[in-house]
Amino acid sequence: MTEDLSPPRRPRRKSGAAATTVQAQACAETPPALPHLIVGIGASAGGLEAFRSFFTHMQADSGFSFVLVQHLSPQHVSMLAELVGRNTQMPVCEAIDGARVEPDHVYVIPPDATLTIADGVLHVSKPAPPRQHRWPINTFFTSLAEDRGDCAVCIVLSGTGSDGALGLGAVKEHGGLTLAQSGFDHVAMSGMPASAASTGLVDDILPVEDMPARLITYRKQMHAARGQQGADGIRQDLSDHLQNLFRLLRAEVGHDFSQYKRSTVMRRIQRRMLVRQTETVPDYIKYLRQHPQEHQQLFREMLISVTEFFRDPLAFTALQERVVPALLADRGAADVLRVWVPGCATGEEAYSIAMLLREAIGSQGGPKVQIFATDIDDRGIEAARAGRFRAPLLGVSPERQQRWFSKEGDDYVVVKSLREMCVFSPHSVIKDPPFSRLDLVSCRNLLIYLNADLQERLLQTFHYALKPGAFLLLGPSETLSRSAGLFTELDKKQRLYMRRENTRVGSIPPLPFAERGHAANAGRGMASVARGSDEGINRQVQGLLEKYTPAYVVINANHEVLRFAGDTGRYLSPSTGAASLNVFSLLHKRLREPARAIVRRAFASAETVTRDDLSVDVGSQHQPLRLIAEPLLDKDGSVTMCLLAFSDAPADAATAAAPSASPPPVELARIRALEHELESVYAQLHAAVELHESVNEELKSANEEYQSVNEELQSSNEELETSKEEMQSINEELQIVNAEAHSKNETLTRLNSDLRNLMESTQIATLFLDRDLRIGSYTPAMTELFHLRDGDRGRPITDISARINYPELKQDVPDVLRHLRIVERVLHGAANEPSYLLRMRPYRTVDDVIEGIVLTCVDVSQSLRHEVERGQLAAIVDSSRDAIIGYTPDDAISSWNPGAERIFGYPAAQVLGQSLAMLLPSESSGVTSAIFAAGALAERPQEFETLWQTRDGRQIPVAVTSSLVRNAEQQIIAGSLIARDITERREAERHTRLMLGELNHRVKNTLASIQAIAVQTLARAPSLEAFQDKFLPRLQALSHTHNLLAVDAWQSVSLAALVMGELAPYEDADHPARVQLHGEDRQLAPKIALAMSMALHELTTNALKYGALSLPQGRIEVSWERVTGGAVPWLHLCWQEVGGPLVRAPSSRGFGTRLIADGLAFELDGKVALDFAPTGVRCLIELPLGEPEDPA
Amino acid sequence: MIVLGKLPCVLIAEDEMIVAMMLEDLMERAGYHVLLVARLARGLELAVSEPIDAAILDINLAGQMSFPLADALQQRRIPFMFASGYGREGLPERHRDAMVLQKPYGMSEIKAALHALLANGGQASL
Repeated sequence: MTEDLSPPRRPRRKSGAAATTVQAQACAETPPALPHLIVGIGASAGGLEAFRSFFTHMQADSGFSFVLVQHLSPQHVSMLAELVGRNTQMPVCEAIDGARVEPDHVYVIPPDATLTIADGVLHVSKPAPPRQHRWPINTFFTSLAEDRGDCAVCIVLSGTGSDGALGLGAVKEHGGLTLAQSGFDHVAMSGMPASAASTGLVDDILPVEDMPARLITYRKQMHAARGQQGADGIRQDLSDHLQNLFRLLRAEVGHDFSQYKRSTVMRRIQRRMLVRQTETVPDYIKYLRQHPQEHQQLFREMLISVTEFFRDPLAFTALQERVVPALLADRGAADVLRVWVPGCATGEEAYSIAMLLREAIGSQGGPKVQIFATDIDDRGIEAARAGRFRAPLLGVSPERQQRWFSKEGDDYVVVKSLREMCVFSPHSVIKDPPFSRLDLVSCRNLLIYLNADLQERLLQTFHYALKPGAFLLLGPSETLSRSAGLFTELDKKQRLYMRRENTRVGSIPPLPFAERGHAANAGRGMASVARGSDEGINRQVQGLLEKYTPAYVVINANHEVLRFAGDTGRYLSPSTGAASLNVFSLLHKRLREPARAIVRRAFASAETVTRDDLSVDVGSQHQPLRLIAEPLLDKDGSVTMCLLAFSDAPADAATAAAPSASPPPVELARIRALEHELESVYAQLHAAVELHESVNEELKSANEEYQSVNEELQSSNEELETSKEEMQSINEELQIVNAEAHSKNETLTRLNSDLRNLMESTQIATLFLDRDLRIGSYTPAMTELFHLRDGDRGRPITDISARINYPELKQDVPDVLRHLRIVERVLHGAANEPSYLLRMRPYRTVDDVIEGIVLTCVDVSQSLRHEVERGQLAAIVDSSRDAIIGYTPDDAISSWNPGAERIFGYPAAQVLGQSLAMLLPSESSGVTSAIFAAGALAERPQEFETLWQTRDGRQIPVAVTSSLVRNAEQQIIAGSLIARDITERREAERHTRLMLGELNHRVKNTLASIQAIAVQTLARAPSLEAFQDKFLPRLQALSHTHNLLAVDAWQSVSLAALVMGELAPYEDADHPARVQLHGEDRQLAPKIALAMSMALHELTTNALKYGALSLPQGRIEVSWERVTGGAVPWLHLCWQEVGGPLVRAPSSRGFGTRLIADGLAFELDGKVALDFAPTGVRCLIELPLGEPEDPA
Repeated sequence: MIVLGKLPCVLIAEDEMIVAMMLEDLMERAGYHVLLVARLARGLELAVSEPIDAAILDINLAGQMSFPLADALQQRRIPFMFASGYGREGLPERHRDAMVLQKPYGMSEIKAALHALLANGGQASL
């Protein structure tokens, strides 16, 4: 089987002449020249520095070729070639499609392109695939690995992401060197190098400047190693030490590789030597002994294999079409489908089969599927168990990716349903007992690493492990070879086999009993066939013919008699002892030896063998006998039985054989003596033989007894072995299940402790109740609501006295359970008791079953208090007549009360979110702008007055109080402004200022008037008493008018009131109707009123002294009218005294007369006619009535 | 009363009749010829037509400011002074330098002021 297999590590090459040439050029074949290594270097866009550093340390005539693959933006023109070119003497050029890779050249990937290499020639395809499928480094490394084999080197330099990791695996698989960049601390740099390192396939992690030296050493070593290699590329000195290495490895890692294919094993050891930079095999062995971790490294190296999802899709198609339907036929939910994937590596194949099966079964129903995936590589098993795969998922269609994986970061994780189908365990298919009763074994690309003996053993193991009619899938380069008899070929190309049902080989361990049982069965079958034909006419004919035929027996290969025919009695003489059908125990003693001889010959030659020179004693007569052994051939020509016939020899033959002449008498006597002697010797011999035979018989019977006992023991042993195997298989499964259970248990413990900590630490009182209101878990905070103790678990909550008032509990629980809704209640505590917000929701298990309720209570006393306070504050804000405006630190308005709406006219909806600056007038002063300048929040004055603009464009004065809201860290988180419309206040202030000025002026004017009155009065007073009599009433009249003016805030004075104010004191009960007023009452301006009052006072004083009021019957009639027609209306007032004494005109003009006649007209720009008629004084006053105006 | 040729003529613009009467008496006793006006219009007429030597102007004449009258007097280079309850701050810029008598004023005060006014041609202030 091994002949048609290429070693797995040899690079797969495309057929064709070119390929051969390249191969010839590439390496291996020309040992004297240094091998031509092509170095692929991957980095992401930021890797320029690393590239430069690399080439600064790389000599220009090294003979290496370099291909730089960088993540480039498709749109950008790359300067990479030019930039790198500055750091090396080598020619640096952008890769061109079809260019052959030359030594001492540097090639750079062009932008927006995929670069690959085949047959030493670069291939550039454009454009690059879309971003999510673009893995330029992986793509190039993979093609490099396939093209150059162990002459490929890949280097992963700094960069983000995980590109390069998969390609690096390919290089490693094909025997190339893999390097990743480290930081100064010899740990892989994060990003691409770390991702590559995490695969465990990186040979060396080192700083970029050390890489060129490492490359040169590597090549030197490689060259040296090549010198010692034979034509097969393997060091000749290796095989001598191989057993030694195997021993070391077995002792250290517990796995024996001695039965692995030697060439593969040696190649891998050789690679390790290269990586470890050891020159000779003993050196490496020494290194191994000194560095225990190297055993692991070597072990991993042995296990390197590349796997991917649905590798060889055709094989999976065959599996899907031919095997899966057969597996699922007639299987219900109670059945179990068992699959074994030995050598599963990181689990891709197991998951692929799981996907196939799950897709065929559907999400529901179907048999339970157990996929046992095993490998000796425990790291691989760990990775498989994690089920986490790095993008890109090769071989997985987008639909499958969508359905079976969930994306976590850069990785894809297998969905739980798929994961649960698979059981991963470290297990050696060679060393450990196999699984049993399997429906499918998929063992792909494992046998190729093993030698023929181990392959055969493994196939027997699979045969044992599989159920009859179950399936076996092998890798594309693997065949059944020597074990072809165990399986039927289903699909030769895809290596799909079915276990043969009829064959029964128990080689795990080899089962001799089965072998023997099989043979015995065959014998019995033969006999029954013979009996089956023994019937009817045949039987009669045979009976008749027996008279004419010689007697015979039919024996089998064990010399047991199967049939007697004819008169065999004469020839038989059974031995004493246990009954036996063995023909040699039955035959007459003398016939035994001859018979044995011819039977043996007949069986051996398959030809008829006869012997004539025999005789039997019939009575006292010697009867000559011919013994014939006739082999009976079965269909395929082998001898299974033999017929032994006893034929009477013809008498003549016996006589013919007798001597014709009689011997001479002397000789006769001598002959007689000799005959006697012979007879006595014969008798002695006979006795000896008899004795020997009897002993022999005994021995035989004893032996047979032993054999049967042995047989029994064997079968018991066999059964025990079988049971043991099954037990081991089951045990293995149990251990695996146990390991999984253990890890789940750990997870659960962790979760449980998390949960407990959560419960302990949470401030939210939580209580779990089952459907019957029995208490489950609760948090410590709950004890503040119910008098709970640890012993209360399981008791109904209704038995527990509550510290809260919650009578609705019993109604709420069924309500929640029935409608599956959440009930919320606020439980108000008494005066100083806390209030709680209670929330009751159904308790759902992870399986979405409702098993009770969860009660959570949060102390909301504070919150409620805050609510009330907030309500109060909100009411204040809402009812305030001031604008209260909240804003965010960036001056966006966040609240707007009705007062603000009233003052500025904007409704809240229109301003929320707008900038405060909207309130500023467009031409606002520098100060205001400064206040609202950005960033000056903290410097904003607490109180200021300014002008703000309303919605209708008016500018109104406002007094603003600004306050800032700070958090605990004293950072400003908000601000508020209270703006008061001070238009009215400003108006009032202005008015007050005006009034004060006016008052001052008026007081001075008044004082000036009083001064004038005093001066005038004094000038005419003969004495101080006379002055007093005149002056004080004048002052009083003035004061009175001031009183009247004050009534209407110095706006105007009623004319009637003015007149009556002067005259009323003279109209009393003794003198009724002394004063008569005629005319519609008029309002007079203050100036007019003041002047008029002084005039009226002088008239009244005069009337009292000389006129109508001096006599009781005297009257005064005052009439007025408003006369219109001129520019302004005029007032005509007439003072007429009636019934007084005879009037005489005064001899000189006194103050009064002058004031009335001249002053009044002068001041009011009117006309005054004072007539001292004898019947009574008459005074006509005509003056213009200006509209009442501001007093001057 | 001593009459020496032509008496100096003083224009008194005052709308307060009592004050005007008092001033009139005072001025006449001091030997001046007095022209009394209570309204601006009348004052303007007199300022143009009469040979006035000096003027005492109340600022507010029945609601009208007497500044136009002051202007007219200034134009004729007739010295004048203001007599007002407002004081100097009630004056417009162009008359800031004019002589101002704060009401109420004493009799000797006004006599001295008027004397100074006539002596200095209104250029000096009190």
